[in-house]
Amino acid sequence: MGSSIFFQQLINGVSLGGVYAVMAVGFGIVFNVLKFSNFSHGGVVAISAYVGYYLSRNVTDNFWLALAATTMIGGAVGLLVERLVFRPVRRAGKPLTYFFVNSITVAMVVQQFFSAMWGAHYFAYPDFFERTAFHVSGLVISRTYLLMLVISAVVLLALTLFLRATKLGIAIRAASSDIYTPPLMGVNTDVVTGLTFVIAGLLAGITGFFLGMTYTVTPFIGSMMLRGIIAAIIGGMGSLAGGVIAGILLGAVEALLIAEVGSSVTPIIIYLGIVVLLLVRPQGIAGKPYTVKA
Amino acid sequence: MVFYAKVLETTLLFTMFVLSVYMLSGLTGLFSLGHGAFITIGAYTAGLATTRFGLPIWLSLILAVVVGMIGGLIIGAPTLKLRRDYFLLVTFGFGEMVRALLLWTAQLTGGAMGLAGIPYAAELPLIAVSTLVVVLFVANLKKTAFGRTCIAIRDDELAAQAMGVNVYAHKIKVFLLSAAIASYGGALLAFNMSFIEPNLFNWLESAKLIVIIFVGGINSVTGALITGIFYYSFGELFRFAHVWRDVILGLLVILVIVFRAQGVFGSWEFSPAWIRSRFHRRPARNQEA
Repeated sequence: MGSSIFFQQLINGVSLGGVYAVMAVGFGIVFNVLKFSNFSHGGVVAISAYVGYYLSRNVTDNFWLALAATTMIGGAVGLLVERLVFRPVRRAGKPLTYFFVNSITVAMVVQQFFSAMWGAHYFAYPDFFERTAFHVSGLVISRTYLLMLVISAVVLLALTLFLRATKLGIAIRAASSDIYTPPLMGVNTDVVTGLTFVIAGLLAGITGFFLGMTYTVTPFIGSMMLRGIIAAIIGGMGSLAGGVIAGILLGAVEALLIAEVGSSVTPIIIYLGIVVLLLVRPQGIAGKPYTVKA
Repeated sequence: MVFYAKVLETTLLFTMFVLSVYMLSGLTGLFSLGHGAFITIGAYTAGLATTRFGLPIWLSLILAVVVGMIGGLIIGAPTLKLRRDYFLLVTFGFGEMVRALLLWTAQLTGGAMGLAGIPYAAELPLIAVSTLVVVLFVANLKKTAFGRTCIAIRDDELAAQAMGVNVYAHKIKVFLLSAAIASYGGALLAFNMSFIEPNLFNWLESAKLIVIIFVGGINSVTGALITGIFYYSFGELFRFAHVWRDVILGLLVILVIVFRAQGVFGSWEFSPAWIRSRFHRRPARNQEA
Protein backbone atom coordinates (compact mmCIF):
# COMPACT_ATOMS: atom_id res chain seq x y z
CA MET A 1 0.00 0.00 0.00
CA GLY A 2 1.52 3.30 -1.10
CA SER A 3 1.71 6.11 1.40
CA SER A 4 -0.80 8.31 -0.42
CA ILE A 5 -3.36 5.50 -0.50
CA PHE A 6 -2.57 4.84 3.15
CA PHE A 7 -3.32 8.44 4.13
CA GLN A 8 -6.38 8.47 1.91
CA GLN A 9 -7.78 5.43 3.69
CA LEU A 10 -6.76 6.82 7.05
CA ILE A 11 -8.66 10.06 6.45
CA ASN A 12 -11.78 8.24 5.27
CA GLY A 13 -11.54 5.78 8.13
CA VAL A 14 -11.15 8.46 10.76
CA SER A 15 -14.17 10.32 9.37
CA LEU A 16 -16.30 7.21 9.52
CA GLY A 17 -14.78 6.57 12.95
CA GLY A 18 -16.20 9.91 14.04
CA VAL A 19 -19.67 8.58 13.26
CA TYR A 20 -18.89 5.36 15.16
CA ALA A 21 -17.78 7.51 18.08
CA VAL A 22 -21.09 9.41 18.08
CA MET A 23 -22.87 6.06 17.97
CA ALA A 24 -20.78 4.65 20.83
CA VAL A 25 -21.52 7.70 22.98
CA GLY A 26 -25.25 7.51 22.24
CA PHE A 27 -25.21 3.86 23.23
CA GLY A 28 -22.93 4.46 26.20
CA ILE A 29 -24.79 7.37 27.80
CA VAL A 30 -27.92 5.27 28.30
CA PHE A 31 -25.81 2.34 29.47
CA ASN A 32 -24.20 4.58 32.07
CA VAL A 33 -27.44 5.79 33.57
CA LEU A 34 -29.69 2.74 33.36
CA LYS A 35 -26.99 0.01 33.06
CA PHE A 36 -28.48 -1.94 30.21
CA SER A 37 -27.49 -2.46 26.57
CA ASN A 38 -29.85 -0.21 24.71
CA PHE A 39 -30.50 -1.85 21.36
CA SER A 40 -33.36 0.52 20.62
CA HIS A 41 -30.61 3.02 19.80
CA GLY A 42 -30.21 1.21 16.47
CA GLY A 43 -33.95 1.59 15.92
CA VAL A 44 -33.78 5.36 16.48
CA VAL A 45 -30.78 5.50 14.11
CA ALA A 46 -32.82 3.69 11.44
CA ILE A 47 -35.85 5.95 11.91
CA SER A 48 -33.58 9.00 11.64
CA ALA A 49 -31.99 7.68 8.46
CA TYR A 50 -35.42 7.37 6.85
CA VAL A 51 -36.57 10.75 8.18
CA GLY A 52 -33.38 12.36 6.90
CA TYR A 53 -33.96 10.82 3.50
CA TYR A 54 -37.54 12.05 3.38
CA LEU A 55 -36.63 15.58 4.47
CA SER A 56 -33.71 15.99 2.11
CA ARG A 57 -35.64 14.65 -0.88
CA ASN A 58 -38.99 16.30 -0.30
CA VAL A 59 -38.65 19.26 2.03
CA THR A 60 -35.31 20.96 1.76
CA ASP A 61 -32.11 20.49 -0.20
CA ASN A 62 -30.14 22.44 2.36
CA PHE A 63 -27.70 20.11 4.15
CA TRP A 64 -27.70 22.03 7.43
CA LEU A 65 -31.46 22.36 7.64
CA ALA A 66 -32.03 18.70 6.87
CA LEU A 67 -29.38 17.63 9.39
CA ALA A 68 -30.74 19.89 12.13
CA ALA A 69 -34.33 18.75 11.57
CA THR A 70 -33.34 15.08 11.52
CA THR A 71 -31.36 15.51 14.73
CA MET A 72 -34.32 17.17 16.45
CA ILE A 73 -36.69 14.43 15.30
CA GLY A 74 -34.18 11.83 16.52
CA GLY A 75 -34.26 13.46 19.94
CA ALA A 76 -38.06 13.45 19.96
CA VAL A 77 -38.17 9.79 18.96
CA GLY A 78 -35.69 9.01 21.73
CA LEU A 79 -37.95 10.70 24.27
CA LEU A 80 -41.02 8.95 22.88
CA VAL A 81 -39.35 5.54 23.17
CA GLU A 82 -38.35 6.31 26.75
CA ARG A 83 -41.86 7.42 27.69
CA LEU A 84 -43.69 4.53 26.05
CA VAL A 85 -41.32 1.64 26.55
CA PHE A 86 -38.82 2.26 29.32
CA ARG A 87 -40.52 4.55 31.78
CA PRO A 88 -43.30 2.09 32.75
CA VAL A 89 -40.69 -0.60 33.36
CA ARG A 90 -38.53 1.75 35.44
CA ARG A 91 -41.47 3.06 37.47
CA ALA A 92 -42.47 -0.50 38.33
CA GLY A 93 -38.92 -1.17 39.52
CA LYS A 94 -38.51 -4.24 37.33
CA PRO A 95 -35.12 -5.90 36.75
CA LEU A 96 -32.70 -4.72 34.07
CA THR A 97 -33.57 -7.74 31.94
CA TYR A 98 -36.89 -6.20 31.02
CA PHE A 99 -35.26 -2.97 29.84
CA PHE A 100 -33.04 -5.00 27.59
CA VAL A 101 -35.83 -7.15 26.18
CA ASN A 102 -37.90 -4.05 25.48
CA SER A 103 -34.95 -2.44 23.74
CA ILE A 104 -34.34 -5.36 21.36
CA THR A 105 -38.06 -5.47 20.73
CA VAL A 106 -38.06 -1.82 19.68
CA ALA A 107 -35.12 -2.47 17.35
CA MET A 108 -36.96 -5.48 15.92
CA VAL A 109 -40.26 -3.63 15.43
CA VAL A 110 -38.51 -0.75 13.67
CA GLN A 111 -36.55 -2.99 11.33
CA GLN A 112 -39.53 -5.21 10.50
CA PHE A 113 -41.77 -2.20 10.04
CA PHE A 114 -39.42 -0.71 7.45
CA SER A 115 -38.99 -4.11 5.80
CA ALA A 116 -42.74 -4.49 5.54
CA MET A 117 -43.26 -0.98 4.21
CA TRP A 118 -40.28 -0.45 1.92
CA GLY A 119 -38.30 -3.66 2.14
CA ALA A 120 -37.68 -3.83 -1.58
CA HIS A 121 -36.58 -0.20 -1.96
CA TYR A 122 -33.16 1.25 -1.40
CA PHE A 123 -33.06 4.99 -0.84
CA ALA A 124 -30.09 7.20 -1.64
CA TYR A 125 -29.65 10.69 -0.23
CA PRO A 126 -29.25 13.55 -2.71
CA ASP A 127 -25.84 15.17 -3.26
CA PHE A 128 -25.93 18.24 -1.08
CA PHE A 129 -22.86 19.96 -2.49
CA GLU A 130 -21.78 20.70 -6.02
CA ARG A 131 -18.09 20.44 -5.35
CA THR A 132 -17.88 17.27 -3.36
CA ALA A 133 -14.15 16.88 -2.89
CA PHE A 134 -11.03 18.84 -2.08
CA HIS A 135 -7.61 18.02 -3.49
CA VAL A 136 -4.80 18.49 -1.03
CA SER A 137 -1.32 17.45 -2.19
CA GLY A 138 -2.48 14.39 -4.07
CA LEU A 139 -5.12 13.38 -1.52
CA VAL A 140 -8.79 13.52 -2.36
CA ILE A 141 -10.78 14.59 0.68
CA SER A 142 -14.49 14.12 0.31
CA ARG A 143 -16.42 17.10 1.56
CA THR A 144 -19.06 14.85 3.09
CA TYR A 145 -16.44 12.92 5.05
CA LEU A 146 -14.74 16.09 6.24
CA LEU A 147 -18.07 17.54 7.36
CA MET A 148 -18.92 14.31 9.14
CA LEU A 149 -15.66 14.44 11.06
CA VAL A 150 -15.97 18.12 11.98
CA ILE A 151 -19.62 17.86 13.01
CA SER A 152 -18.98 14.71 15.07
CA ALA A 153 -16.13 16.46 16.85
CA VAL A 154 -18.18 19.59 17.55
CA VAL A 155 -21.15 17.56 18.81
CA LEU A 156 -19.02 15.44 21.12
CA LEU A 157 -17.26 18.55 22.43
CA ALA A 158 -20.58 20.26 23.08
CA LEU A 159 -21.84 17.16 24.88
CA THR A 160 -18.72 17.09 27.05
CA LEU A 161 -19.23 20.73 27.98
CA PHE A 162 -22.88 20.07 28.74
CA LEU A 163 -22.06 17.10 30.98
CA ARG A 164 -19.29 18.96 32.80
CA ALA A 165 -20.65 22.47 33.21
CA THR A 166 -24.43 22.46 33.42
CA LYS A 167 -26.60 21.43 36.32
CA LEU A 168 -28.51 18.89 34.24
CA GLY A 169 -25.24 17.46 32.92
CA ILE A 170 -23.96 17.01 36.44
CA ALA A 171 -27.26 15.33 37.35
CA ILE A 172 -26.74 12.86 34.49
CA ARG A 173 -23.23 12.12 35.67
CA ALA A 174 -24.45 11.67 39.22
CA ALA A 175 -27.14 9.27 38.02
CA SER A 176 -24.46 7.42 36.04
CA SER A 177 -22.46 6.60 39.12
CA ASP A 178 -25.50 5.77 41.24
CA ILE A 179 -29.13 6.13 40.26
CA TYR A 180 -30.52 5.65 43.78
CA THR A 181 -28.87 8.51 45.64
CA PRO A 182 -29.53 11.59 43.41
CA PRO A 183 -33.31 11.51 44.10
CA LEU A 184 -32.47 11.89 47.80
CA MET A 185 -30.62 15.09 46.90
CA GLY A 186 -33.63 16.52 45.14
CA VAL A 187 -32.76 15.39 41.62
CA ASN A 188 -35.78 14.39 39.56
CA THR A 189 -34.80 10.97 38.14
CA ASP A 190 -37.62 11.04 35.60
CA VAL A 191 -36.24 14.24 34.10
CA VAL A 192 -32.69 12.92 34.13
CA THR A 193 -33.49 9.63 32.39
CA GLY A 194 -35.78 11.42 29.94
CA LEU A 195 -32.99 13.84 29.15
CA THR A 196 -30.51 11.00 28.75
CA PHE A 197 -32.74 9.41 26.12
CA VAL A 198 -33.20 12.75 24.39
CA ILE A 199 -29.42 13.16 24.16
CA ALA A 200 -29.04 9.59 22.91
CA GLY A 201 -31.83 10.32 20.40
CA LEU A 202 -30.13 13.50 19.16
CA LEU A 203 -26.91 11.55 18.67
CA ALA A 204 -28.87 8.79 16.92
CA GLY A 205 -30.39 11.44 14.65
CA ILE A 206 -26.94 12.64 13.58
CA THR A 207 -25.71 9.07 13.17
CA GLY A 208 -28.72 8.09 11.11
CA PHE A 209 -28.32 11.06 8.81
CA PHE A 210 -24.60 10.43 8.27
CA LEU A 211 -25.00 6.70 7.76
CA GLY A 212 -27.83 7.36 5.32
CA MET A 213 -25.58 9.77 3.45
CA THR A 214 -22.62 7.38 3.37
CA TYR A 215 -24.54 4.22 2.52
CA THR A 216 -27.99 3.70 1.06
CA VAL A 217 -30.95 3.59 3.40
CA THR A 218 -32.25 0.06 3.93
CA PRO A 219 -34.27 -1.51 6.76
CA PHE A 220 -31.02 -3.02 8.03
CA ILE A 221 -29.24 0.29 8.57
CA GLY A 222 -29.94 -0.02 12.30
CA SER A 223 -27.60 -3.02 12.42
CA MET A 224 -24.75 -0.61 11.73
CA MET A 225 -25.05 0.06 15.44
CA LEU A 226 -22.86 -3.00 15.92
CA ARG A 227 -19.87 -0.75 15.11
CA GLY A 228 -20.88 1.66 17.84
CA ILE A 229 -21.28 -1.23 20.27
CA ILE A 230 -17.87 -2.61 19.36
CA ALA A 231 -16.39 0.84 19.93
CA ALA A 232 -18.13 1.00 23.31
CA ILE A 233 -16.64 -2.38 24.30
CA ILE A 234 -13.13 -1.51 23.14
CA GLY A 235 -13.36 1.82 24.90
CA GLY A 236 -14.50 0.18 28.09
CA MET A 237 -18.21 0.04 28.88
CA GLY A 238 -19.23 3.02 30.95
CA SER A 239 -16.58 5.35 29.64
CA LEU A 240 -17.75 7.88 27.05
CA ALA A 241 -14.23 9.17 26.35
CA GLY A 242 -13.00 5.61 25.81
CA GLY A 243 -15.85 5.06 23.36
CA VAL A 244 -14.86 8.12 21.34
CA ILE A 245 -11.21 7.09 21.07
CA ALA A 246 -12.18 3.52 20.26
CA GLY A 247 -14.71 4.67 17.64
CA ILE A 248 -12.13 6.69 15.74
CA LEU A 249 -9.59 3.91 16.11
CA LEU A 250 -12.09 1.35 14.86
CA GLY A 251 -12.97 3.46 11.82
CA ALA A 252 -9.30 3.89 10.92
CA VAL A 253 -8.35 0.23 11.47
CA GLU A 254 -11.38 -0.93 9.53
CA ALA A 255 -10.63 1.29 6.53
CA LEU A 256 -6.98 0.27 6.47
CA LEU A 257 -7.81 -3.43 6.83
CA ILE A 258 -10.35 -3.23 4.03
CA ALA A 259 -7.73 -1.64 1.78
CA GLU A 260 -5.08 -4.17 2.76
CA VAL A 261 -6.84 -7.54 3.08
CA GLY A 262 -10.31 -6.94 1.64
CA SER A 263 -13.76 -6.32 3.00
CA SER A 264 -14.66 -9.97 3.58
CA VAL A 265 -11.88 -10.80 6.07
CA THR A 266 -11.97 -7.45 7.89
CA PRO A 267 -14.99 -8.15 10.10
CA ILE A 268 -13.54 -11.55 11.07
CA ILE A 269 -10.26 -9.97 12.17
CA ILE A 270 -12.07 -7.23 14.12
CA TYR A 271 -14.36 -9.65 15.99
CA LEU A 272 -11.50 -12.00 16.83
CA GLY A 273 -9.57 -8.96 18.04
CA ILE A 274 -12.41 -8.13 20.42
CA VAL A 275 -12.51 -11.65 21.86
CA VAL A 276 -8.74 -11.46 22.45
CA LEU A 277 -9.10 -7.98 23.97
CA LEU A 278 -11.74 -9.23 26.39
CA LEU A 279 -9.43 -12.08 27.40
CA VAL A 280 -6.44 -9.88 28.18
CA ARG A 281 -7.95 -6.51 29.03
CA PRO A 282 -11.71 -6.68 29.59
CA GLN A 283 -11.83 -3.16 31.00
CA GLY A 284 -11.02 -1.73 27.56
CA ILE A 285 -9.02 1.39 26.77
CA ALA A 286 -10.47 3.46 29.59
CA GLY A 287 -9.44 0.90 32.16
CA LYS A 288 -12.49 1.14 34.38
CA PRO A 289 -13.54 -2.41 35.29
CA TYR A 290 -17.25 -2.97 35.25
CA THR A 291 -18.74 -5.36 37.76
CA VAL A 292 -22.22 -6.23 38.95
CA LYS A 293 -23.16 -4.32 42.06
CA ALA A 294 -25.60 -5.60 44.63
CA MET B 1 -50.86 -32.89 3.34
CA VAL B 2 -47.20 -32.51 2.42
CA PHE B 3 -47.50 -28.80 3.13
CA TYR B 4 -48.85 -29.34 6.63
CA ALA B 5 -46.18 -31.94 7.36
CA LYS B 6 -43.58 -29.37 6.28
CA VAL B 7 -45.14 -26.73 8.54
CA LEU B 8 -45.07 -29.19 11.42
CA GLU B 9 -41.41 -30.04 10.80
CA THR B 10 -40.35 -26.40 10.67
CA THR B 11 -42.38 -25.55 13.75
CA LEU B 12 -40.89 -28.41 15.74
CA LEU B 13 -37.36 -27.43 14.74
CA PHE B 14 -37.91 -23.84 15.78
CA THR B 15 -39.46 -25.02 19.02
CA MET B 16 -36.19 -26.79 19.69
CA PHE B 17 -34.33 -23.52 19.10
CA VAL B 18 -36.70 -21.70 21.44
CA LEU B 19 -35.98 -24.27 24.14
CA SER B 20 -32.22 -24.00 23.69
CA VAL B 21 -32.59 -20.26 24.26
CA TYR B 22 -34.97 -20.88 27.16
CA MET B 23 -32.20 -22.70 29.04
CA LEU B 24 -29.88 -19.79 28.53
CA SER B 25 -32.18 -16.79 28.92
CA GLY B 26 -35.15 -18.10 30.87
CA LEU B 27 -33.24 -20.24 33.34
CA THR B 28 -29.90 -18.50 33.64
CA GLY B 29 -30.63 -14.92 32.58
CA LEU B 30 -27.96 -14.80 29.89
CA PHE B 31 -28.87 -13.29 26.55
CA SER B 32 -27.29 -14.36 23.32
CA LEU B 33 -28.02 -12.30 20.24
CA GLY B 34 -25.84 -14.67 18.26
CA HIS B 35 -27.65 -17.87 19.02
CA GLY B 36 -28.55 -18.11 15.37
CA ALA B 37 -24.82 -18.45 14.77
CA PHE B 38 -24.84 -21.85 16.48
CA ILE B 39 -27.78 -22.94 14.37
CA THR B 40 -25.87 -21.78 11.29
CA ILE B 41 -22.69 -23.51 12.46
CA GLY B 42 -24.60 -26.75 13.02
CA ALA B 43 -26.31 -26.50 9.65
CA TYR B 44 -23.09 -25.76 7.75
CA THR B 45 -21.01 -28.37 9.57
CA ALA B 46 -23.57 -31.04 8.80
CA GLY B 47 -24.07 -29.80 5.25
CA LEU B 48 -20.36 -29.64 4.46
CA ALA B 49 -19.61 -32.95 6.14
CA THR B 50 -22.11 -34.79 3.97
CA THR B 51 -21.78 -32.96 0.66
CA ARG B 52 -18.06 -32.20 0.58
CA PHE B 53 -16.58 -35.00 2.67
CA GLY B 54 -19.18 -37.72 2.20
CA LEU B 55 -19.55 -38.52 5.89
CA PRO B 56 -22.60 -40.51 7.03
CA ILE B 57 -25.56 -38.63 8.51
CA TRP B 58 -25.12 -39.75 12.12
CA LEU B 59 -21.46 -38.75 12.14
CA SER B 60 -22.31 -35.35 10.63
CA LEU B 61 -24.84 -34.75 13.40
CA ILE B 62 -22.25 -35.52 16.08
CA LEU B 63 -19.68 -33.37 14.31
CA ALA B 64 -22.16 -30.47 14.14
CA VAL B 65 -22.70 -30.62 17.89
CA VAL B 66 -18.96 -30.77 18.57
CA VAL B 67 -18.14 -27.82 16.33
CA GLY B 68 -21.02 -25.82 17.82
CA MET B 69 -19.71 -26.46 21.32
CA ILE B 70 -16.18 -25.43 20.33
CA GLY B 71 -17.65 -22.17 19.01
CA GLY B 72 -19.49 -21.75 22.30
CA LEU B 73 -16.28 -22.29 24.24
CA ILE B 74 -14.41 -19.67 22.20
CA ILE B 75 -17.11 -17.07 22.86
CA GLY B 76 -18.11 -18.16 26.35
CA ALA B 77 -14.75 -18.59 28.03
CA PRO B 78 -13.64 -14.95 27.88
CA THR B 79 -17.04 -13.26 28.19
CA LEU B 80 -18.94 -15.24 30.82
CA LYS B 81 -16.54 -14.10 33.53
CA LEU B 82 -17.48 -10.49 32.84
CA ARG B 83 -20.66 -8.51 33.31
CA ARG B 84 -23.56 -10.05 31.39
CA ASP B 85 -23.65 -7.23 28.86
CA TYR B 86 -20.29 -8.30 27.47
CA PHE B 87 -21.61 -11.76 26.76
CA LEU B 88 -24.62 -10.27 25.02
CA LEU B 89 -22.63 -7.84 22.91
CA VAL B 90 -19.93 -10.34 21.93
CA THR B 91 -22.48 -12.97 20.92
CA PHE B 92 -24.07 -10.28 18.75
CA GLY B 93 -20.68 -9.78 17.08
CA PHE B 94 -20.16 -13.55 16.89
CA GLY B 95 -23.30 -13.91 14.79
CA GLU B 96 -21.97 -11.39 12.31
CA MET B 97 -18.55 -13.05 12.37
CA VAL B 98 -19.90 -16.46 11.45
CA ARG B 99 -21.75 -14.89 8.54
CA ALA B 100 -18.60 -13.07 7.40
CA LEU B 101 -16.63 -16.30 7.75
CA LEU B 102 -19.08 -18.19 5.53
CA LEU B 103 -18.97 -15.47 2.89
CA TRP B 104 -15.18 -15.40 3.01
CA THR B 105 -14.75 -19.16 2.62
CA ALA B 106 -17.05 -19.16 -0.41
CA GLN B 107 -14.96 -21.79 -2.23
CA LEU B 108 -15.78 -24.34 0.42
CA THR B 109 -19.16 -23.17 1.69
CA GLY B 110 -20.68 -21.66 -1.43
CA GLY B 111 -20.71 -18.21 0.18
CA ALA B 112 -23.70 -16.05 -0.59
CA MET B 113 -24.90 -18.62 -3.13
CA GLY B 114 -25.66 -20.98 -0.29
CA LEU B 115 -25.02 -24.68 0.03
CA ALA B 116 -27.30 -26.95 -1.95
CA GLY B 117 -27.68 -30.67 -2.40
CA ILE B 118 -27.63 -31.67 1.27
CA PRO B 119 -29.29 -35.09 1.55
CA TYR B 120 -32.86 -35.00 2.80
CA ALA B 121 -32.44 -37.12 5.89
CA ALA B 122 -34.37 -35.41 8.66
CA GLU B 123 -37.96 -36.45 8.24
CA LEU B 124 -40.82 -35.87 10.62
CA PRO B 125 -40.22 -38.84 12.98
CA LEU B 126 -36.58 -37.93 13.65
CA ILE B 127 -37.43 -34.26 14.19
CA ALA B 128 -40.40 -35.06 16.42
CA VAL B 129 -38.42 -37.48 18.60
CA SER B 130 -35.49 -35.06 18.88
CA THR B 131 -37.76 -32.18 19.86
CA LEU B 132 -39.58 -34.33 22.39
CA VAL B 133 -36.30 -35.35 23.99
CA VAL B 134 -35.21 -31.71 24.22
CA VAL B 135 -38.58 -30.69 25.70
CA LEU B 136 -38.38 -33.37 28.39
CA PHE B 137 -34.74 -32.55 29.04
CA VAL B 138 -35.32 -28.83 29.54
CA ALA B 139 -38.54 -29.33 31.54
CA ASN B 140 -36.73 -31.69 33.89
CA LEU B 141 -33.57 -29.59 34.02
CA LYS B 142 -35.64 -26.84 35.58
CA LYS B 143 -36.49 -29.13 38.51
CA THR B 144 -32.99 -30.42 39.18
CA ALA B 145 -30.53 -28.89 41.63
CA PHE B 146 -28.54 -27.65 38.66
CA GLY B 147 -31.58 -25.91 37.18
CA ARG B 148 -32.53 -24.32 40.49
CA THR B 149 -28.99 -23.03 40.86
CA CYS B 150 -29.27 -21.48 37.40
CA ILE B 151 -32.48 -19.73 38.43
CA ALA B 152 -30.71 -18.43 41.52
CA ILE B 153 -27.95 -17.03 39.30
CA ARG B 154 -30.55 -15.40 37.09
CA ASP B 155 -32.36 -13.74 39.97
CA ASP B 156 -29.36 -12.60 41.99
CA GLU B 157 -25.90 -13.48 40.83
CA LEU B 158 -24.16 -11.92 43.81
CA ALA B 159 -26.33 -13.77 46.33
CA ALA B 160 -25.78 -17.06 44.49
CA GLN B 161 -22.06 -16.49 44.56
CA ALA B 162 -22.21 -15.71 48.27
CA MET B 163 -23.96 -19.05 48.82
CA GLY B 164 -20.98 -20.81 47.30
CA VAL B 165 -22.24 -21.31 43.74
CA ASN B 166 -19.54 -21.42 41.10
CA VAL B 167 -21.30 -18.95 38.83
CA TYR B 168 -18.84 -19.12 35.96
CA ALA B 169 -18.89 -22.93 35.82
CA HIS B 170 -22.69 -22.97 35.77
CA LYS B 171 -22.93 -20.32 33.13
CA ILE B 172 -20.48 -22.02 30.80
CA LYS B 173 -22.15 -25.42 31.24
CA VAL B 174 -25.56 -24.00 30.40
CA PHE B 175 -24.18 -22.07 27.46
CA LEU B 176 -22.41 -25.11 26.00
CA LEU B 177 -25.51 -27.27 26.45
CA SER B 178 -27.61 -24.62 24.80
CA ALA B 179 -25.12 -24.26 21.94
CA ALA B 180 -25.09 -28.05 21.52
CA ILE B 181 -28.88 -28.21 21.23
CA ALA B 182 -28.94 -25.25 18.84
CA SER B 183 -26.29 -26.75 16.56
CA TYR B 184 -27.95 -30.16 16.63
CA GLY B 185 -31.21 -28.48 15.63
CA GLY B 186 -29.32 -26.54 12.98
CA ALA B 187 -27.95 -29.77 11.53
CA LEU B 188 -31.47 -31.24 11.43
CA LEU B 189 -32.63 -28.06 9.72
CA ALA B 190 -29.96 -28.52 7.04
CA PHE B 191 -30.99 -32.15 6.50
CA ASN B 192 -34.61 -31.05 6.35
CA MET B 193 -34.32 -28.10 3.97
CA SER B 194 -31.48 -29.47 1.79
CA PHE B 195 -30.41 -25.89 1.08
CA ILE B 196 -28.82 -23.43 3.48
CA GLU B 197 -27.38 -19.94 3.12
CA PRO B 198 -25.40 -17.62 5.41
CA ASN B 199 -28.34 -15.30 6.07
CA LEU B 200 -30.46 -18.13 7.43
CA PHE B 201 -30.22 -16.66 10.92
CA ASN B 202 -29.37 -13.02 11.46
CA TRP B 203 -29.40 -11.29 14.84
CA LEU B 204 -33.09 -10.58 14.45
CA GLU B 205 -33.94 -14.28 14.42
CA SER B 206 -31.89 -14.72 17.58
CA ALA B 207 -33.67 -11.75 19.15
CA LYS B 208 -37.04 -13.27 18.27
CA LEU B 209 -36.15 -16.48 20.10
CA ILE B 210 -35.52 -14.42 23.26
CA VAL B 211 -38.61 -12.31 22.81
CA ILE B 212 -40.85 -15.38 22.41
CA ILE B 213 -39.67 -16.64 25.79
CA PHE B 214 -40.63 -13.37 27.42
CA VAL B 215 -44.11 -13.45 25.94
CA GLY B 216 -44.65 -16.93 27.35
CA GLY B 217 -43.06 -16.07 30.68
CA ILE B 218 -39.51 -16.80 31.77
CA ASN B 219 -40.67 -19.14 34.53
CA SER B 220 -42.68 -21.38 32.26
CA VAL B 221 -41.27 -23.95 29.82
CA THR B 222 -44.86 -24.57 28.76
CA GLY B 223 -45.28 -20.88 28.00
CA ALA B 224 -42.14 -20.83 25.85
CA LEU B 225 -43.35 -23.95 24.03
CA ILE B 226 -46.86 -22.73 23.34
CA THR B 227 -45.73 -19.26 22.26
CA GLY B 228 -43.03 -20.76 20.04
CA ILE B 229 -45.38 -23.25 18.39
CA PHE B 230 -48.03 -20.60 17.90
CA TYR B 231 -45.63 -18.03 16.45
CA TYR B 232 -43.81 -20.31 14.03
CA SER B 233 -46.80 -22.30 12.81
CA PHE B 234 -48.72 -19.06 12.33
CA GLY B 235 -45.86 -17.68 10.24
CA GLU B 236 -45.77 -20.74 8.03
CA LEU B 237 -49.53 -21.00 7.58
CA PHE B 238 -50.12 -17.32 6.84
CA ARG B 239 -47.20 -16.41 4.65
CA PHE B 240 -48.84 -13.19 3.44
CA ALA B 241 -48.64 -11.76 6.94
CA HIS B 242 -45.03 -12.92 7.24
CA VAL B 243 -43.41 -9.52 7.69
CA TRP B 244 -46.11 -7.90 9.73
CA ARG B 245 -46.23 -10.73 12.23
CA ASP B 246 -42.90 -9.58 13.70
CA VAL B 247 -44.23 -6.06 14.15
CA ILE B 248 -47.27 -7.55 15.90
CA LEU B 249 -45.07 -9.84 18.00
CA GLY B 250 -42.92 -6.88 19.01
CA LEU B 251 -45.84 -4.71 20.07
CA LEU B 252 -47.28 -7.67 21.96
CA VAL B 253 -44.01 -8.13 23.83
CA ILE B 254 -43.88 -4.52 24.93
CA LEU B 255 -47.47 -4.71 26.14
CA VAL B 256 -46.77 -7.94 28.01
CA ILE B 257 -43.64 -6.60 29.67
CA VAL B 258 -45.26 -3.34 30.68
CA PHE B 259 -48.52 -4.81 31.96
CA ARG B 260 -47.72 -8.42 32.82
CA ALA B 261 -44.00 -8.86 33.31
CA GLN B 262 -44.28 -12.49 34.36
CA GLY B 263 -45.46 -13.33 30.84
CA VAL B 264 -48.75 -14.67 29.53
CA PHE B 265 -48.35 -18.03 31.26
CA GLY B 266 -46.68 -16.83 34.46
CA SER B 267 -45.10 -19.82 36.13
CA TRP B 268 -47.77 -22.28 35.10
CA GLU B 269 -46.46 -25.62 33.85
CA PHE B 270 -48.33 -28.33 32.06
CA SER B 271 -47.54 -31.51 33.98
CA PRO B 272 -49.16 -34.75 35.18
CA ALA B 273 -49.47 -33.16 38.63
CA TRP B 274 -51.42 -30.27 37.16
CA ILE B 275 -53.78 -32.63 35.30
CA ARG B 276 -54.42 -34.63 38.48
CA SER B 277 -55.15 -31.44 40.39
CA ARG B 278 -57.89 -30.65 37.86
CA PHE B 279 -59.69 -33.84 38.85
CA HIS B 280 -59.00 -33.98 42.57
CA ARG B 281 -59.41 -30.32 43.52
CA ARG B 282 -56.07 -30.48 45.21
CA PRO B 283 -53.43 -27.78 44.59
CA ALA B 284 -50.75 -28.88 42.13
CA ARG B 285 -47.31 -28.97 43.63
CA ASN B 286 -45.51 -26.97 41.02
CA GLN B 287 -47.96 -24.12 40.87
CA GLU B 288 -46.46 -21.99 43.59
CA ALA B 289 -42.96 -22.18 42.07
